[in-house]
Amino acid sequence: MKMSESKKSARREETAGLMEYSTENLVPFGPIHPALKEPEYFKLVLEGEKIVEVIPRIGYVHRGLEKAAEGRPWVQNMYMFERTCGICSFVHSLCYGQAVEELTMYKVPKRAKYIRLIIAELERIHSHLLWVGLMGHWAGFETLFMWVWQDREIVLDIVETISGNRVHKSMNAFCGVRRDMPENMEDHIVEKMKYLAGRARYYREIIDTEETMLERTQKVGKLSVDTVEKLCAVGPMARYVGIQNDVRLNDPYAAYDEVPFSIVTRNEGDVQGLLRLRLDELIVSTDLITYAVKHLPEGPIRVKIPPVIPAGEHSSRCEAPRGEIFYYVKSTGGRTPDRVKSRQPTLANLPAALEMLKGQTLADVPIVLTAIDPCFGCMDRMSFLDTETNKQWTWSGEQLRQYGIKHYFPNQSRNSPILKETHP
Amino acid sequence: MLKQLETWARKRSPWVYHINASSCNGCDIELVASLTPTYDIERFGAVLVPSPRHADVLIVTGTVNAQTKDRLRKVYEQLPDPKHVIALGACAAAGGVFKGCYNVGQGVQDVIPVDMFVPGCPPRPEAIMYGVLKLLGEVK
Amino acid sequence: MSEVFLQRVEGCAVDAHTKPTQLRERETLVEVEQQYVKQFVSKVWNDGISRRLSTITGLDLGERIGIIYHFWQNKDTLHVRTTVQKTSSTAVSIVDIIPGAILYEMEIHDLFGVTFVGNPWMDKKLLLPETWPDDLPPPLLKTSKSPEIRKRLKLEAE
Repeated sequence: MKMSESKKSARREETAGLMEYSTENLVPFGPIHPALKEPEYFKLVLEGEKIVEVIPRIGYVHRGLEKAAEGRPWVQNMYMFERTCGICSFVHSLCYGQAVEELTMYKVPKRAKYIRLIIAELERIHSHLLWVGLMGHWAGFETLFMWVWQDREIVLDIVETISGNRVHKSMNAFCGVRRDMPENMEDHIVEKMKYLAGRARYYREIIDTEETMLERTQKVGKLSVDTVEKLCAVGPMARYVGIQNDVRLNDPYAAYDEVPFSIVTRNEGDVQGLLRLRLDELIVSTDLITYAVKHLPEGPIRVKIPPVIPAGEHSSRCEAPRGEIFYYVKSTGGRTPDRVKSRQPTLANLPAALEMLKGQTLADVPIVLTAIDPCFGCMDRMSFLDTETNKQWTWSGEQLRQYGIKHYFPNQSRNSPILKETHP
Repeated sequence: MLKQLETWARKRSPWVYHINASSCNGCDIELVASLTPTYDIERFGAVLVPSPRHADVLIVTGTVNAQTKDRLRKVYEQLPDPKHVIALGACAAAGGVFKGCYNVGQGVQDVIPVDMFVPGCPPRPEAIMYGVLKLLGEVK
Repeated sequence: MSEVFLQRVEGCAVDAHTKPTQLRERETLVEVEQQYVKQFVSKVWNDGISRRLSTITGLDLGERIGIIYHFWQNKDTLHVRTTVQKTSSTAVSIVDIIPGAILYEMEIHDLFGVTFVGNPWMDKKLLLPETWPDDLPPPLLKTSKSPEIRKRLKLEAE
């Protein structure tokens, strides 16, 4: 009895416990292996096939932006924070810009607000399409991945025509945008939005009927409303259980208070619900862009402001494709900020993701982790510890993906030599 | 004779392993976009492989921070000879816009030898393909 | 409604022996001492004033370290600010009220060196690399300089 007690406490120290509200029973296991010197991304503790615990280790993309921002001029920071994330870059610079603009006495022109809305929604479409494609890839449905990414090129072409770049648009400036909408683009954009909405409906049909997707996404990754709220999940992770958490509705910014916006929520609470949610949001985005492009007001696109920002503190939030982005800015009246704090939505959704993984099988891990739409590096490496067999091993994301496909569709998958040599 | 055949095969069908060393994902999504039908790097024979032991070419994206430095070195050692390294993007070349930040290195060439730099923030898929193919032209 | 929100915040503030200040139209700041933080946050969360915690920010205020909790509900934002001493500081953890705050507190622990009493993951690093030397002060203090940190982490050109 004493032996297992000390093992129990040893394990508790190693894993540093679970979140307080969870009612997990600790299962004693053998000696801890300190052999894993390489810092892993996630450490998953299994009991046979089921996951019982997940310990996150992020910091792979920690570059020290917040410290660097304190030494750079206000305007330079805007383009640095844009590169926090390649997929939701515009919203980062928008949120930072909004937080700083409020400290000055200048107002953003109306036309700029509409252009900001158009670019933000284009970014949302491209991000959701990217995600749907990746879900197809992880589920083993390569065709979906290829088709969706081809449709995504349409969005990137429009973005390139407006801003000059596909990924880091650099459209934002303080109190305005840097470039105007090109002339005679209205019809082209409206036509493409109609096409994309049609494609989204088609993909919706696929995920509702295609067996590959149904098997992998139905009833996977379930969370209750109470858990989601307590874990402060944001964006689609909150809306997929029915919580009306959308900054565009609750705290409108840019031109969202002037355009007809309808929030999308679902009640399924599983990954299939997330798929439906994001595709529906895509359709809403196409409507928003069509409306904004048709009702674009005339006027200036920018108000130039002095490089010194008055003292004060302000915070701002925006709805990125992944959820709520939050920026807090503090100025002491100089040319450089005193403190800039940015909180990405993936950090907010991480506790919910860890909770979603519990009780799932190993084969579901890539689907569940991708479902939160993570924006950190990639799922490079995961380490596993099976408490029943005492085996420990490390897999790359690709190995895990192939394991998942083999588990669900044993007759279809190719015999992967890589899986043979690495599967314990 | 066998050596010539080997070189020809490697030139015609480079197996590429991609590692993300603390990147913002911009370069990564442009790399993945080069696989999609619009750009289709696979028609040149390039294939993304899941393990470094099967690769000829290593593509590195991102600034190299203290956490990923050792991992990058280890992955480079796992690649079988002869190997080539492509540093993708401004961050991999010299730190990009993050140069001087406290957890950012000086670029990939500080850690492992680099054969080809593809500039851009992020580089377009066409630029990536040009970089990969130009590198193969160097393979003797 | 903004007035209702402000009134309810004032109600909570009285118990915490403090008064809210209006930063601008829909943004309120409340300075709370460490001993009242848990009680205040519990009231805000459980009495339905706000069920949305955006994040927790750490701040180097010169003499002390500031910790700001950012709450919001519809268009109203509430910043709850508390301060702790600069070195070897401990702060109260709200993880038992709001489990989702666990990672935010870990971040402040990494970047400012504040230990949150009650947070089960204080022994783990969230963001800082494994090779971070133990004697190096936390990076986001004003006294920590980037070039020095880079040298210690061996990120300078060899």
